[in-house]
Amino acid sequence: MNTLAAVTPLVITGCGVVSPAGVGLEALAGALGGAGHGTADLDAIGGEFPPMPLAAIPDLRVEDYLGKKGVRSLDRTTRLALVAGERALAGLGTPLTDADRVRTGVVIGTSTGSVRSSSEFSRETLVREKPYLVRANFFPPSVMNFCAGQIAIWNSLRGMNATIADGRISGLAAVRYARNAIAQGHIDRALVGAVEELCPQSAWGWYVSGALAPAAAVGEGAAMFVVETPEAAAAAGREPLGEVLACEVGTLGMSGLRRGLATCVTRTLERSGVPAESVTTVSLGATGLRGLRAAEEDAVRTALGALPRHQIRTARLVGETFSASGALQIASLLGAWRAAGDTQETRETRDTGDTTDSVALVTSIGDDGNVGCLVMRRPAVETAALPS
Amino acid sequence: MPERASRRVVVTGLGAVSSLGTGARAFTEAIREGRSGVSPIRSFDASGFPYTFAGEVHDFEPEGMLRRLRTDRWGRSSLFAAAAARLAVSDSGLDPGLLSASRAGSAMGTTLGESTVVEALTGQWVYQGLKELDPALVRQAPASRIAVAVNAELGLTGEAHTVATACSASNYTLGYAFDMVRTGEADFMIGGGADSVNRWEHAGFYRLGALAESVCRPFDTHRSGILTAEGGVALLLEPLEHAVARGARIYAEMLGYGVNCDARHPVAPDPASIAECIRAAHRNAGVRPADIDYICAHGTGTPTNDATEVKAVREVFGAELPPISSIKSMIGHTMGAASGFGALICCMALYDGFLPPTANVTEIDPALGPGVDCVPGKGRPASPRIVQNHGFAFGGNNAITILGRAA
Repeated sequence: MNTLAAVTPLVITGCGVVSPAGVGLEALAGALGGAGHGTADLDAIGGEFPPMPLAAIPDLRVEDYLGKKGVRSLDRTTRLALVAGERALAGLGTPLTDADRVRTGVVIGTSTGSVRSSSEFSRETLVREKPYLVRANFFPPSVMNFCAGQIAIWNSLRGMNATIADGRISGLAAVRYARNAIAQGHIDRALVGAVEELCPQSAWGWYVSGALAPAAAVGEGAAMFVVETPEAAAAAGREPLGEVLACEVGTLGMSGLRRGLATCVTRTLERSGVPAESVTTVSLGATGLRGLRAAEEDAVRTALGALPRHQIRTARLVGETFSASGALQIASLLGAWRAAGDTQETRETRDTGDTTDSVALVTSIGDDGNVGCLVMRRPAVETAALPS
Repeated sequence: MPERASRRVVVTGLGAVSSLGTGARAFTEAIREGRSGVSPIRSFDASGFPYTFAGEVHDFEPEGMLRRLRTDRWGRSSLFAAAAARLAVSDSGLDPGLLSASRAGSAMGTTLGESTVVEALTGQWVYQGLKELDPALVRQAPASRIAVAVNAELGLTGEAHTVATACSASNYTLGYAFDMVRTGEADFMIGGGADSVNRWEHAGFYRLGALAESVCRPFDTHRSGILTAEGGVALLLEPLEHAVARGARIYAEMLGYGVNCDARHPVAPDPASIAECIRAAHRNAGVRPADIDYICAHGTGTPTNDATEVKAVREVFGAELPPISSIKSMIGHTMGAASGFGALICCMALYDGFLPPTANVTEIDPALGPGVDCVPGKGRPASPRIVQNHGFAFGGNNAITILGRAA
């Protein structure tokens, strides 16, 4: 009926990430330039894993971030998301007030909640003497919104609390969902991200599926972001880590993933109001997946003419993380910008106001036909500066 | 986001696959008569359970309803969703070709996703080992399939969100769909939800002490809990202007919604937070408490829910409570689809002119306080103008939609 207008940017002012590189953006950015993931410590996770590469978070001491109280009963999905969320909020230049928390929402991307929690609870109905002799306190975690609810409880976040299960594009879909909630005034800001835990059930699922490329690992991780309007961030004195321009998702890939994602990228750039030539970085998602990897890269080439100068392939380090992939790709991009921010060359580029080194794509693609693209801009020096 | 001329949004298509029949009309007639869709469980071996009743859809034949999906490749919840969406589009009279060529998408709610698929995989794990997982079933397991099924069945290329906000999920989807159409992000959106009866949920609610033996009686002194249930529901949202131009039947106008989170307890609801959610919905819809003619309650039939819900309503409405009823008394708790069925019956109540009943009520619980009109027994002829539809969930996830009679 009409063409869509450009969107008003949002900013990311806080970021917390838990990945096979460890806790934090620096660990992720540092490891991305390195040799890849180490040997996964599967004892901490438990269970019998398939004979395939695995990428797990090393030595995660949840108590260091969350305290000891109430942690033991939480499943791994919830723990990872809680730590990432805690890091995102703790890193804010100006912390959230109690009044802020009433108007702060949670939007979290997930595949099917904790696959382990739901399948283990389901298993109890088969192996117990009677099918109803399940443990009642293990029931709520088997429901997909348990993690989002816990994030709200632990952080007193009383706004919209959404769990978005959009498969591989969940991370980007969560950002898009949060954008609407902020733009329409349902919340002032959101803690947005996605999570995926490594567990035997899903690892065996990947193993039998044959969907992974040779040598690609099944991984895990969580990344959470504080997303708000530039005005709100400036008023609170919170410095943007990145500007979120348009974010488009959809099932454009059902009749061809390459063309579908290319269309999505083009549309997202249009709505971002930035030309294709300005894109210098792409944070790719399908690196570990047979067929999808080529489709994703071809689509970006089709939309831009060539792959951008810098390519970030997060899955090489963190493994295939399904619903968390998009959020971890965003984190990798922010990490790369932060690392590059320390170099003289970039600082000069930024001082001249030249934006050619500052626009990046985050792409996402699933074998269900879902595709997504998010355009991120590195904050200009002016907007990055703290108000007096 | 740039301020664009806000569009009015109407509901022009309704689809239901329920224990009380297929199609919005059959469902509505059964509800008005106060009939029950509850029956002994057939979808799994319930013989080991003390309680063996649920609201199952026994006559679901997706092959006859779906035009594009190959039914052997999708789980039960996805098929419920796709079938309901197909029914909604047929009901709307909208050209399916125009729909798929438009900026159109879906948002579908769920509590447990493809739970019957997960249970089948769990069975393979327990009896054969994880090595023996069937890859074809693994492909059907992600909850995301539910909204993807809708887009695949209708040939939509817009977003396909499966919103897993448990038992308030459909209201979340309707709110999002409303915003997308209102702001022009989409020209048509399908909202709704789907869930399937399964052993694990039945066991969980039983152990929580929240399950009724065979009868769900919300607001009754002797209410004892929920009955698990299943189904799929879909509402087609379109701009008012477009609906009028094509001479569409307009069931209702969507006026707004509110969502919030208790952020207190994973299971126990909080009346003050629910009251705040009602106020947020009223603000968003631009209505006052006095404008509300009917409340379609979350009304699960547990002692706690109904008492909390009435308390919250009282906090906003004072002494003058609008009639408040629960269709869960007839279809059980359809989980992620529940508030979608609530929205559907609200649309029909506005369009046909009646109030949906609460079945199985013999004595309205005096502990709920005075003035609780739960429309006991059968539906009542009435002319509601503006109604409010409740959805609450584990995790303290509250979502409320407001619908109005088409002008």
